[in-house]
Order: sequence, then structure tokens, then C-alpha cells
Amino acid sequence: MATRYAVPGRGPTQKPKGEARVVRTTDSPNCTGACGWLATVVDDTIVDLKPAADYPCQEYNPRGCLRGMSMTHLIYGPDRIKKPLIRTGARGEGQWREATWDEALDHIAAKMIHIRDTYGPESMLLFNQVVGTGYVQKGAQVRMAALLGMSFATAYDFNGDISMGFTHTMGIDCVECETKSWGHAKTAILWSSNVFQTRIPDAQFLTRVAKQRNNCKIVVIDPRCSQTAKGADLWIPINPGTDGALALAMCRVVIEEGLVDWEFLRTFTDCATLVREDNGRRLRASDVGLGGDDQFVVWDEGRGGFYVLPMDTLKLPDDVRPAFKGERQALTPEGPVQVRPVYELLEEEILLEAYRPEVAAKITDVPSETIRSLAREYATNRPSSIIIGMGLNHRLHGDLTIRAVLLLSALVGAHGKPGESVSIYSGQHHFRLDVSSWWFPGGKRPNGVPMHYFVLGRPTETINPKIKFPKNGFKALFVSHGNPLVTEFSDPIKKAIDDLDLFVAIDFSMTPTCEYADVVLPAPTFWEKKELVGTSCHPYLQIQQEVLTPRYDSRTEMWMVQELVKRVDPSLAHHFDCTEDDAIRTMLASGGKEVEGITLEQLEQGPVRLKVHDPEVGCDEQFLEHHLFPPRAYPFPEGAQREFLKTGRMEFYKEEDVFQKLGECIPVFKPAFSHLPEEDQKFPLSIVTPHSKWRVHSTHSNNPLLLNVNRGPVVEINPLDAHMRGIADGDPVEIYNLNGAYRLNALVTEAIKPGVLCVDHGWWDRYLGGGKYHSVHTHQKVKPTHENYYLPAVYAPGQHWKDTRVDIRRVQG
Amino acid sequence: MARLAMLVDLTRCIGCDACTLACKQENGTPMDTFFARVINVESGTYPNVKRFYLPVLCNHCDDAPCLKGCPNKAIFRRPDGVVLIDQDRCKGTGACVTACPYGNVYLIRKDRWYLNEDEAYERDYVKPRLHEQVARKCTYCVHRVDEGLDPACVVACPTTARIFGDLEDPASPVSKYIVEQKEETHREPFHLLPDAQTKPATCYLGPMADQSVSTLGGRAEPPIHDRGFVEAQR
Repeated sequence: MATRYAVPGRGPTQKPKGEARVVRTTDSPNCTGACGWLATVVDDTIVDLKPAADYPCQEYNPRGCLRGMSMTHLIYGPDRIKKPLIRTGARGEGQWREATWDEALDHIAAKMIHIRDTYGPESMLLFNQVVGTGYVQKGAQVRMAALLGMSFATAYDFNGDISMGFTHTMGIDCVECETKSWGHAKTAILWSSNVFQTRIPDAQFLTRVAKQRNNCKIVVIDPRCSQTAKGADLWIPINPGTDGALALAMCRVVIEEGLVDWEFLRTFTDCATLVREDNGRRLRASDVGLGGDDQFVVWDEGRGGFYVLPMDTLKLPDDVRPAFKGERQALTPEGPVQVRPVYELLEEEILLEAYRPEVAAKITDVPSETIRSLAREYATNRPSSIIIGMGLNHRLHGDLTIRAVLLLSALVGAHGKPGESVSIYSGQHHFRLDVSSWWFPGGKRPNGVPMHYFVLGRPTETINPKIKFPKNGFKALFVSHGNPLVTEFSDPIKKAIDDLDLFVAIDFSMTPTCEYADVVLPAPTFWEKKELVGTSCHPYLQIQQEVLTPRYDSRTEMWMVQELVKRVDPSLAHHFDCTEDDAIRTMLASGGKEVEGITLEQLEQGPVRLKVHDPEVGCDEQFLEHHLFPPRAYPFPEGAQREFLKTGRMEFYKEEDVFQKLGECIPVFKPAFSHLPEEDQKFPLSIVTPHSKWRVHSTHSNNPLLLNVNRGPVVEINPLDAHMRGIADGDPVEIYNLNGAYRLNALVTEAIKPGVLCVDHGWWDRYLGGGKYHSVHTHQKVKPTHENYYLPAVYAPGQHWKDTRVDIRRVQG
Repeated sequence: MARLAMLVDLTRCIGCDACTLACKQENGTPMDTFFARVINVESGTYPNVKRFYLPVLCNHCDDAPCLKGCPNKAIFRRPDGVVLIDQDRCKGTGACVTACPYGNVYLIRKDRWYLNEDEAYERDYVKPRLHEQVARKCTYCVHRVDEGLDPACVVACPTTARIFGDLEDPASPVSKYIVEQKEETHREPFHLLPDAQTKPATCYLGPMADQSVSTLGGRAEPPIHDRGFVEAQR
């Protein structure tokens, strides 16, 4: 369809006055969709927005959604921050004075100098959102933190989007195919993923392509009949938190029915590596005198001896036949040790009574016949894809669940082809190029500290020694384009902020987080600043243009850090003696093979496809070229992930002490709520907090245009639960537990499983009937297996807010 | 002769409301006015629930009740079939609103807006697009169509579920799509409320997904400690 339209924004009755110019740009909100737009501009005002629909790969046209289309009402909305603000009353009291930039920056710089000299620069913490979308502007902030020696908390892990199940298995926190790949699937399992709302520009690959062309069977596993269930052939309303049991029961069906892809296990997984019975560690080549302790062996049935796995390729010689079963003896320097292949341990677990579909059925509420047929279909009606949503991951044992799903995919070998992958589009953490040259000048990195420890106010006992918690604690926090006071942990975050000497918020809208700040700095929207934008959804690199002059007194993040550094440490100011274009050129020049030969000039002409496979299938280098896992996680150097995936293969056995101690060496199922204190467990309902199409996290919460369609916050509740409590449709209700309470209206609906409540994520408090949004969620807790290693946003603690239990009652309106 | 029509493929449609907002963006409609809407339907009782999204807009009927009902002859049909309300002739009687069996004509006594009054974007570029206190509805974006462009909702639909063109031209995208889908997916276009006998131009192709549900239909979640599971594990 030809949609490269340049349409001046005019209606039936009137042509716009003034000269119209059309700008091709992209937006970069935290949906990470990175959609191309054509903006028609008259007199520095956007008068029309249309999808650019100019991706060279026609299938991607058009990209865009209702939120992008409504951006005008945020750019011109009433909540824009107009001038720098300095707090005059108590925190959160709403007393401000407008300041000039000089005043505001002098004020901040003086405090920064004091904190740096008194407590050390690492006491100042930067927390900025969606760094993966804004390589230049967000990168400038990181560059400042690096140069000044500040601490830096990556948002991705604190948001709970980090998928430690992937890190444990593949050595990287998320794996994605480009969404075009979905179109090839004949079986697509959307496991708690609601792509019809959260991946609107990409959903067409399921409906228009997979369904319409291949009559793909689409299955939605979700306690809620989500919007995506509309397009699904089968909806499986699973009991919340029992997905791991379902995945392992499906694994059992695959094994029992002989559907295992042994060639896949042999090549890409650790299933044939051997585990020592004496200490639970994997058998090393050095244990049997065949090599180093960074090499691993399998038992080769062909030769009747140990075979050392190559550590430069996944390809095994054809005549090597690794044993997947059978106990053997290894003669180690410490004496003879019994060893067994990983696969045998996995099979032993999976064949436990607990994972017999008839038993799992009672736990998951999925009929055993469905478990069997779904497993069969997934294994045989190929290509088959799984898209994982955050309902699986936002749980303490979400890592185990995802490991179980990955095990299922590995058993049938559903990876490495168009339409075959397990993808998790959780935030835009996947950097498409190495941004180090811009972010980390001279290789200097900021002090990485997960935000979790800031919120806890202290390190945990099990904190990874690589993480340097500031010796004097945190004294300053800079939040840029984040809204942590609207997330599930807002109360604990507030308490942590209360101990600070300085809290600076940088944003374009006066969010609840800004309202609690000491100094608020007005930033432009992504229609008013230049950026280099990439996404994991599609492999196009794009330029975000300064379509409008920054409105009011807003200034780019780049300008802000230039001015701050000048004040705090003039000797470093020369590092910022550059423009956005310079930063883009620097990154492209040293961005790695994906951007080799791509120039700023090309990007100015339109989207440019990265130098990657077409279509990208996820872990392309591993599955297509047999490079060792893990794929490199930009912006970290090659090898940075090796320590947590020592075999270089998909690991379904984790040998480290902490896994052994917790009984999580292999993916097992652990009931979701059993880690909660007894008194929390007594609450009868569970609550899910999915993203909706009306917002990107909390962005657009205040968009008057979208509010006109979406109205206000509601809690979805099944009539069985509602009637029992005397709640009727539309009633004002309160959701409560021991952590907190908040009020909104009930939406009594048959489209949700009894026993489950659902409230959309991201509403600002002011739209509630009272209370603090999401204040019921379980408080910060860090899983020790997430602390075993540390690599910011790759191996770091996740979140578990969906493990919350609540009750609901009717209140007076 | 021509017969402009829009076809909405309900297999492709994901109910995302991009059309709703694209229409507002293009036509500058005030608060609570939606020339393009998506009706969200839930049917059945748990667990046998179905979800359905039905995008609706003016049907540009051959036999348009709004046109017949207007006492001021303000509504007319162009030779290409597009039904328009003459904004200068309309006296705001509301007869068309009553006459339309689809509820697709809007008449508001006082327009309310979204942004602060001094905001140039809305004041200078949005509000002037439509007259106040007259009946208003979808025009198939004729101002675009006349320039050779597709309607705003069509170019903005991220799943290309909306297909626009001349039904009487076999080479038009909509005609070709209807033929192709008859062959490939055995679907025939249909109209809404055929009993109203208005002969709409806007038509639909049905959803292909089976939409079945699979659960034991459990009342609520299992006990948290789940002894059954823990014991079975041993």
C-alpha cells in the first residue's frame, strides 16, 4: 500500500496558514516500538501526524499506534513543565518557584560539589529511563555520570523487565526475533503476552500474515481474556503464577511422546554435559586430565570416552555421539566421582508425578488433554513461536518459569528459523550498536548499582561483591524521564528519597515523581530533540529529528549535562564540546559490525536496516553460525557474560552454590506465593497489572485525548468475586492488603478468571478515587540467584510485583 | 460512476483504536466526538467468553436514512456515493442523528476541547476544521480522497485492516481484496444491520480465529501452599 503521504494538516473547510514543511522522524517512548512518522509543521506547530510508512521492507509499513498519533496532546498538553522549578515548601507539598536555568543549574551544581567532596561522587545516583531508545541524549547523562564518578542504576532491571530466566539459560537478559519473523509461524503461543495492546505496530504479523496466510494457530495463555485473546484460536485461562508447572508438564509430554529434537540438544545445549554427584558441579576437562577448567566434557558413546566440547564453535563433529543418559565414573584428581548427564537430571525431574498433565491440570486449571495437545502442536505444527509477556517474569520465581519455557523450546528445537523462537520484548534494553565510545569516554564507566539497593537503603547480605554500594550511602538522585513514584514500589522509593540531600527530576510532563522533587528541569519531548533510535522489534536504525523548537524553556539533556559539568568540574567540560550529530557519528564509527558503513547522512534520508540477517530469528550468530552463546550484550565487551554461561551453550543446569542451596539447579516449579509472609498469603485474590494500549507505562496517563476514550482507572473483577462482596459494575471499590490500599471503580466482567483482579499499569494517582496507586504490591525483595554475578541490566535482580495477594471491598463513592 | 467503499477485515483488526485517534487527528473533532470508533464486545460467561472488536464509521449508505430525514436538505450524496452533510445548510435539527440506525452522526450543542484555550495548536489549527452546532460525521476523508489519498484511518491502521477504494473498479484495492479473500479464505463481505436496508458502502470480512477456551473452569486459585503439588513432587 502506498502510504508515503505528505499531507498538510487541513480539514474539510480550511487550509492551514503559513508554509507547511514535512519532517520524517521517529518517536522513542518506552514501548520501544520506534515508529517512523511524517510530521507536518506550520509555524513551528505540528498540525498533522501520519505514519511515515517508508521502511524499505514493505511488511513493516505502516508503523504507528494511537499513542503516537496522540502525541500532539502531550506536546501541547497542560502538564508540560515550562521553566526550571525549585522547591520552596516540603517535598511533595507543591510549593515551587520558577527559576532561570542559571539559577537552577548553579543550585544543583553547588549541591553536587558538596556531596562529591563530603561523601564521594558515587553517592550521587543517576536513574534514567529507556536508555536503549535514546543513545544520544540519555547517553549524554550516562557520560556525565561516568566522568564524574557517579553511580548509575539501569532502569531495565528495576522495571522488572530483565528476564533472568534468559540470562541463566542463554547468558543474555532477553532474546528477540524481529517481529516480521512472527509471520512465518504456524503455531504461536502468546504466553501472558498481550501484543494487540502492547505491540500494536507489530501485531499485524500475527493477524495479517501468520493467521491470514498460514492459518497459524494462535494460543493465548493468560488469566484474563485479553485483547489479544480476540485474535486467538484458543484462550487458556491459567491460574496466575502456575505457568512453570504448565511448561514442565508440556516438556513431559514432549519427552513421553518421543518428540525430542536430539540434534538440537546435542548442538546448542548443555544437556550432555556431566554433573558430578559429589559436589553438584559440572565435570571439567581438567577433572579428567583432558584440558582446562574452562572446558567441559561429554561422554561420547561412539568413542566410549570423554569428549571435550569445543569452545570456539557449537558444531560437533558428526561422529561425536554425546550420551544423554547413563551414570558414569570419572577419575578426578580427588578420586573417582560418579557423573550424570544434565538431560538425565532434567528428565528425572520432569517425570515426577507433579508434572504428569493430570496433576498439573489441577494446579494450572488447564485440562490435561489441552496440555497434551498444546505440547504436541507446539512440537509438530511448525514453525512454532513463543512470545513471553511480563506476567511470567514479574514474579520471584519468574526466572524458573522462563527457564522451563526455554527448556520446552529446546526439547523440540524451536529456535533459529523464521517463525521459530522464544522472544520477550521486554523493554528496549537490547542496544543495537556499541554505544561505548559516547557513553564511556576513555572506557570510564559509572559505578553500576541496581536501583533495588537504593530502595532498600542498604546492600543485601547476598549482594554481589562487584557492586560497590556507596560507603556513605546515597545522597543525591537524578531521575530522568522515569516515573518511579507511580510504580509498584512508590512508598518505599519515597522513603528512600526522604533521606536524600538532593532529588532532581528531568521530564517534559509534571509527573507525580516531578512533584516530589527538589528541582525539576524541563526537557523537550521526543519531537523536540535529536536522537539516534534503535529497537529490538525491527532492525532499522532511525534518526529522531528536532521537529519543533523545544517548547517553553525546555532544554535537551545534552545541553543540561554540558552546563552541569562546566559548573561541577570545568576540567571535564571539553568532553561535552560537541553536538548531537558528533555523538551519532562517534557511535556509528565504533558501533560494531551491525552498523558498519552506516552513516549519519544515510540515516538522515530515512530508516537504514542494520547489517543483520533477514529476517532476524534471535540469537542468529548462535543458531545460524554456531558461535558460542551468549550473544554479546552491548555496550559490554565481548566476554563480559562468559562467567555466567561457562559452557557457552544453553544451560539448563546451573551449578553455582546459590542454585544448589535453593534447589534451582534445573528449572523446577515453585508455587508463586509461597515466599510471602503468612499474613500476606491469607488475602484471597491475586492481582495482575498489565500494560494497556492507552499508555506507555505512565506516559500518556495524562493525555487528554486518550483519556477521552479511556476515561478512568478500573479494576476488572469476575462477577463471582464481585457478587460475593456486594460489588456491582461501576461501583467505587478499594483494593487493599497489609501494604496499602487504593480506590477506583469496578468493572465487573466475565473476561477475567475468578480469583484474579486486573488493574492497568501506569495510572497517575490523581485519577484514582483515593490512595496510592499500586501501593498494595509486595515490597522489594532480591532473589539471591540474581546476585550471583553482576552485569548492569544483563545479570541483575528482577522484580516480583505480580506475586501480590489482595482483597477488594465496596466503598462509599 | 464510482462507488467508494471501505472494507474492514476483522481478522486483521486488533481493536487498537488507532483509527479512532487517526480520525480525531485528521478531522480535529472535539471531545466525545468519534467519527471512527471501535466497539468492544464481550460475550458469554466465564470461561466461555469471547472478545470482539467492531470498528464502526459512517456507512455511506446508498439508501441513507439521514439524507431522507433531513428537513433542510443539507445532506447529499456525491456521485461516488459519499454521503456528506453540508455544513453551511445544516441547521442542527438532529433529524439525521435520530434517523441513522447506526448512531454514526454526531450533534453537540457546545463543543468542548482538550487543551488550554491559548494553545495555538488547537485554537488555530484544530478548531477551525469543523463547524460548531451542526451535525457532523465521517466523510471518508473526501478532502484527502479528492487529492488521491486514502482516508486517515486507512493510512494509520497498523494492521492494514481497512481497505478503501471504488467497488465498481475491479482494479481498486477493495475490489481486488474482496475477490482474493473469497478465493483464499472463503470469506464474503457483509454489512452491519442488513435489516435496516440502508445499503451501506462500509463492509466487513469476518474473523478467522476459532476463539475457543480451555480450562477446567476452576472457581479460584488452588491453595497457596499447594500440598498436592508439594507431595506429588516427592
